[in-house]
Amino acid sequence: MPAGEPILNNYLIVGALLFTFGLVGFLARRNLIVMFLCAELMLQGVSLTLVAFSAFHGTWSGQVLAIFSLALAAAEAGIALALFVVLFRRGSSLDVSLWQDLREADQPPVPDESAGDEKPPETSWPHLPPAGVLPQDAPEPNVHAHKSAPPPEPIGAEAAGRKHA
Amino acid sequence: MVLFDPIPAVVSGASPLSQLLDSLEMALAQPHAGSILRALVVLVVGAAGVYLMLPRGQPAGRRLERYLGAALATAALVLLATMPLQSGSASIAQSQSTFLWALESKSTCYAFHLLAFVSLASALLMVTSRNPVYSALWFALVLLGNSGLYLLQKAEFLAAATVIIYTGAIVVTFLFVIMLAQPRGTARSDRYSREPLLASATGLVLASVLLGTLHYAGRYESWGHGTAGTMRPPAQLIEASAAASGAFREIGGGNREHVSGLGKTLFVDHVAAVETIGILLLAAVVGAVLIAGHKVEGSFVSPKGNPAFQRPDHDHNRRN
Repeated sequence: MPAGEPILNNYLIVGALLFTFGLVGFLARRNLIVMFLCAELMLQGVSLTLVAFSAFHGTWSGQVLAIFSLALAAAEAGIALALFVVLFRRGSSLDVSLWQDLREADQPPVPDESAGDEKPPETSWPHLPPAGVLPQDAPEPNVHAHKSAPPPEPIGAEAAGRKHA
Repeated sequence: MVLFDPIPAVVSGASPLSQLLDSLEMALAQPHAGSILRALVVLVVGAAGVYLMLPRGQPAGRRLERYLGAALATAALVLLATMPLQSGSASIAQSQSTFLWALESKSTCYAFHLLAFVSLASALLMVTSRNPVYSALWFALVLLGNSGLYLLQKAEFLAAATVIIYTGAIVVTFLFVIMLAQPRGTARSDRYSREPLLASATGLVLASVLLGTLHYAGRYESWGHGTAGTMRPPAQLIEASAAASGAFREIGGGNREHVSGLGKTLFVDHVAAVETIGILLLAAVVGAVLIAGHKVEGSFVSPKGNPAFQRPDHDHNRRN
């Protein structure tokens, strides 16, 4: 090692701290895009570690692995950003807490009380057609109502009955 | 070299609390306990700074907490880099003088410290920015600092690829999506963190464990029977690994192949992985087009005046 070259430990420490910042942001932030940026930050910390070990051992293997992780990050970003666009179209918000109904069926919802007393923004679900009266026992009528609502009664049923009477 | 004296088995009758106190006492009696405690204090200061900087719904006028948090985090970083190590044992004192890394008066070392500081400070600001656009821009700065660090480690191709692919393509795509999908103003989800205290505490634990491991590994153990402290492997190990998979750097410091060596390794030794990654990227592109191009049922993206996309309440009003 030439004198004055920073030793391997320094790069490993910077990589570890980058990873830690990414983890903190991933846990603390709510915006889906910022959470994904924090995941990319963790990838950057790992890449820095890989390159440091590559320079340390004097071989190309670490750099090759870092290049593969770069390609993986690109693929991941494409898929995730497409998903975010679709989620924003459905819910008008990127808050990750609004998507708790995607959890496993037997899991209780995680209470989210650190958000102050502001109400979440109104979700823009489509209005039901006039004939589509929701039944009384419908579970969670405002979530995915357009998909899970049972087929409404035909419009003319009641009027036809009245005419017959 | 033995790091800790082995802690003798505690008497079985003692309560867990007294066992814990005993082991704490024995840990404090170790020769390096002072430097460990100081490192923990510095990390706690850094975690407090991160907690203060995280958005917790503060009104925009009160910036004092944010500035205090930034000052605390910066102080923790500077202390980590410059705090002198307690000379508990002879090998520590002779190997390095500061706590975490050696400050040497060479230009590479200054460049390293500058780039590392840029990287870490931008990472902190990225994590704590209220505006996602600022987060993406700070992430671009993190990437620039990281590519500078790659250059310092003689990974030229990776540095260029990081700037071109990450900063040029991925971050720009992020900015596009943020502009496509961003509600008016700063959203509530950006002004309130989710459990900022617990998240900072988790980061503190992770940072302590990682830095402690690196600290001991670098100082007292050696990677592959190298010299403790400098963490260099012996020359024969370098030669063996270079012979196994292409020389990265000439042992004697002569000329080395830059990108051609990397290309040879990539397309000779790892050609199957390259093809697999290519297929994966293709699948990702097709999947992204399928997902994002899919019309969501009931969304309001339809153009006005298109009778196929009339909103139902309009029909209702017209009928009445």
